Amino acid sequence: MTSTFASPPGGAPGTAAAPAVVATEVTKVYGAGGAAVHALRGVSVGFARGAFTAIMGPSGSGKSTLMHCLAGLDTVSGGSVALGDAEITGMSDKQLTMVRRERVGFVFQAFNLLPTLSAERNITLPLELAGRKVDQAWFEHVVEVVGLKDRLSHRPSELSGGQQQRVACARALVSRPEVIFADEPTGNLDSRAGAEVLAFLRSSVREMGQTIVMVTHDPVAAAYADRVVFLRDGLIVTELFEPTPDTVLDRLKSLGG
Amino acid sequence: MLRTTLAGLRARPLRLLLTAVAITLGVGFIAGTFVLTDTMDSGVQRTFARSADKVDVAVRPKGGSGGELPAGLMERVRGVPGVTGVHGLVQGDAALVGRDGKAVGDVPTVGMSVPDGRLLRYELDKGRVPRTRAEAVVDSRTAGREHFTVGDQVTVLDQGNAPHRFAVVGLVDFGIDQEASFRGAVGFEPATALRMTGRKTYQEIDVLGADRAAVAAAVGGSYEVLTGEELGVRLADSAGADTKVIQAGLLIFGLVAMLVSALVIYNTFSILIAQRMREMALLRCVGATRRQVFGGVVAESFVVGVVGSLLGLLAGYGIGAGAMALFNAFGANMPTAGVTLAPRTVAVGLAVGVVVTVLSALLPARAATRVAPVAALRSDAEPGAGRFRLGWPRIVVAGLCAVLGVLAGLAGVMSGEKGVASMFAVAGAGALVFLAVLAVMPALIRPFGRVAGAIPARLGGVPGRLAVENARRSPRRTATTTIALTIGVGLMSLFAVVGASSKASSERQLDAQFPVDFQIQNQFGEGDRRVPHAVAARLAGRPEIGAVIEKREKDTRIGSADGTVNTLGGPPLGTVIKPSFVSGSAADLQPGTALADKDTAARQGLAKGRTVQIKTDHGTVPVRIAGVFGGDTPLTGLLVPGRDFDRYFSVRDPSQIYVKAADGATAAAAREAVQDAARPYPTVKVGSAAEIKEEFTKAIDMVLMIFAGLLGLAVVIALFGIANTLTLSVVERTRESALLRALGLTKRQLRRMLSVEALVMAVIGAVTGVLLGTVFGWAATRAMADDAVFAVPYLQIVGFVVLAGAAGMLAAVLPARRAARASIVESLAHD
Repeated sequence: MTSTFASPPGGAPGTAAAPAVVATEVTKVYGAGGAAVHALRGVSVGFARGAFTAIMGPSGSGKSTLMHCLAGLDTVSGGSVALGDAEITGMSDKQLTMVRRERVGFVFQAFNLLPTLSAERNITLPLELAGRKVDQAWFEHVVEVVGLKDRLSHRPSELSGGQQQRVACARALVSRPEVIFADEPTGNLDSRAGAEVLAFLRSSVREMGQTIVMVTHDPVAAAYADRVVFLRDGLIVTELFEPTPDTVLDRLKSLGG
Repeated sequence: MLRTTLAGLRARPLRLLLTAVAITLGVGFIAGTFVLTDTMDSGVQRTFARSADKVDVAVRPKGGSGGELPAGLMERVRGVPGVTGVHGLVQGDAALVGRDGKAVGDVPTVGMSVPDGRLLRYELDKGRVPRTRAEAVVDSRTAGREHFTVGDQVTVLDQGNAPHRFAVVGLVDFGIDQEASFRGAVGFEPATALRMTGRKTYQEIDVLGADRAAVAAAVGGSYEVLTGEELGVRLADSAGADTKVIQAGLLIFGLVAMLVSALVIYNTFSILIAQRMREMALLRCVGATRRQVFGGVVAESFVVGVVGSLLGLLAGYGIGAGAMALFNAFGANMPTAGVTLAPRTVAVGLAVGVVVTVLSALLPARAATRVAPVAALRSDAEPGAGRFRLGWPRIVVAGLCAVLGVLAGLAGVMSGEKGVASMFAVAGAGALVFLAVLAVMPALIRPFGRVAGAIPARLGGVPGRLAVENARRSPRRTATTTIALTIGVGLMSLFAVVGASSKASSERQLDAQFPVDFQIQNQFGEGDRRVPHAVAARLAGRPEIGAVIEKREKDTRIGSADGTVNTLGGPPLGTVIKPSFVSGSAADLQPGTALADKDTAARQGLAKGRTVQIKTDHGTVPVRIAGVFGGDTPLTGLLVPGRDFDRYFSVRDPSQIYVKAADGATAAAAREAVQDAARPYPTVKVGSAAEIKEEFTKAIDMVLMIFAGLLGLAVVIALFGIANTLTLSVVERTRESALLRALGLTKRQLRRMLSVEALVMAVIGAVTGVLLGTVFGWAATRAMADDAVFAVPYLQIVGFVVLAGAAGMLAAVLPARRAARASIVESLAHD
């Protein structure tokens, strides 16, 4: 079964603009023969530019795999993925690396930062890798927004978990990527630090026009998004616009997850 | 607990392998030394036993090879009832002339008597033994080099350098005779051998068909009479003495290799245990006692030690056999009798390997068990990371070692008495300062890393900068990894500096005191062979030649010891040849006096003003010492005025002629003149000033090369240490590498990052080694002699650092491939 979704009524934020990432009939199989695991069974979905989309689903539903395939961290078994105007399906490892370098930002659940580098150098690392100049005004703006101005010279081990996650967010933003992928960005944080990070991600979408795709299993976190896509057993089963924690929870319950 | 340990080892073969490699190499070297020397010994023994088998009784001079057996004795032995065969062994100089008309080699070939029948103890490779005075056999290898074979005519010079023609009737392998094997040999039937070598006596008389007692009764008590079996043992023993020296020398380098292995193993265990902190904490939480965890680590090290040592024995067997094959390929022609693996080799190899491994694991094991289990379980921190703070005990130990070391070094350098004692002081100082550096190295890694990484960080882009940070992030780990390399490179540079300084010193002395352009000598050097005076006479008239100095010499008794008396013809002493005087001067050399060189004076207790008795051709003559001269020149012994020499001895031909070209004559013209004068004499060879110097420096170069080769193993082990550390770091940084890859680091950049990290570590180790080696090379040079010149072989030393860096990057290849192969998604989930 394949799921495609029509535009919601009223042109709500999240689908109005042209999609930044499009997955078409994506399948992903691990292993072979009898031991084969079908992590994705044919997913087609678009993520609108300038929108904050959450991917939810029970454990083993394939949400992380989908994100890895969308971000060019993993290759698909079938179907195709387009990042902006780049068709990344079938790209070599080197080409994928270049795509990630130039078009994508990441925020992971944990271990986001290089322990040997200061917060500042962690933030500018993607730009350094791409050999791009740091836009000083933009850098200062991002740092100001995430509230890390007086922490720039610190090493990750001298920062709290919330601060580390904010450094990761700043790093993702500073290169102005086409899309930021966040994999359980608040999974390791207490609720207050988590709320800070989520509020920051949302405001970067609202105020800076950033595109964000976030994987989470937390209804509260998902409620910060403009749209929530639900996965189960490797398929998109439903979606929700303008979510609240309650509506997300209801939808999850109805999925039986 | 033991079962857990073994299961853990089985589950992670890489871990076992990494530690075992260092042990394997160290034990391999030591075992290889034993295997090689044992094999040489047993080969020698078997060969001599075989050759002695052919002899029933042997008569030898008492007290080794010094004495001789007169011809009359031979007749007496022949007369003993039952004797069916006798061979008097003759061995002396008989120079074989090569196809170019000059005598073969740098020393004359050995003339040997070759008996017919059962008493022939050498292998006949081709043809037959010589039976007439016009026949000869040639050593197979000499014949091979000179392209002689059976049926050829050869020329051999007798004692008076007169040529004789012989038909080659056979090729013989004189292999078991070391001298013949080294110099090459020509064999004759016994009477011809006596004539050609000019000998009147025999070195040994071999007898067939009589028993020992009968022969002993016939020759009397002043000779040694041995059975064939005893002779075999005796010959093997004297040949075996060499292998003892080789063994001792190699074992010293084996110990250096083991020390480096110990450092590598210690580091590998430290990292492994740090990485397994949580695993151990889990064991503690489920009820293992501290002692059990400690025991587990020790048991693991024991297993690793045994496995590594067994592999090392295997490797040693291979190394021994390989070295043997290599020696023989280079023409050493050593008798082989199957490679020998003695029980002693196995015992020593296993014991050294296991003890070193277990000891290296004890400290890390103690550290591992001192952490509270819950803290270890929770801890997410990277093991060994962060700034290293010097603790007080470390500062005190390092300070003490450094101060004592510097004092000892200064004592060695400043002491008035140069020589062995001050050299020992410098050696001790070197060891102490090394310990100090070992103690403070972790604190030096961050600054050193910054300096060593300055260029890679600038040129290597982001991967370069990250690599330099990585090399500096765990100072303890990097320190131990690099110091292992410091040992090998340090000793290499020390020897290189001492060698270069010695060469520079002797060259400078020769330039100042012995400024000659050519040296003419009989190819057969010192001995009794001389250059005809006619050569000097022909040279004296040539306009291209400025000065001709004939050195005549005579070996005789000086006082109560053997010594050499010399005289120099030509321009007076002090005009061309200007030795440096400790006391007296060239002008003090008056009739009835002599000048002594420093070494002879020291040995015999001679000083200016003392009188010494010289044994001359006409009885003993008292000579007053007018002065003492020093330096590394070809002048040794006593120097007397020419008139006196003429009175004392009948020697008229010089043993060397030194030639200085005329001012304004081209080097080519002068050389032509000298060669012209020497041409009529086939054994007379012309050497240039460079060749004179080379005589002094060749031996130094040779020793340096051998040392460098042997220390190479310590360097290789240290490189494995770098590979170990990197491999383990790669495992530790799996998630970090995945993050970098996700953020846009290409596989190639990831590999380059690890190469640069290895490069920085190798350069830190090598530069530290080069610095220590150079400083102590300087100290050793100062301690050796007052007037020693200090020379740094810059090219060589820069070469050490460059090679170490390149080899370090090579060591990073495998870990880097491993890191680059890992899947990003799986690594991100890695815990």
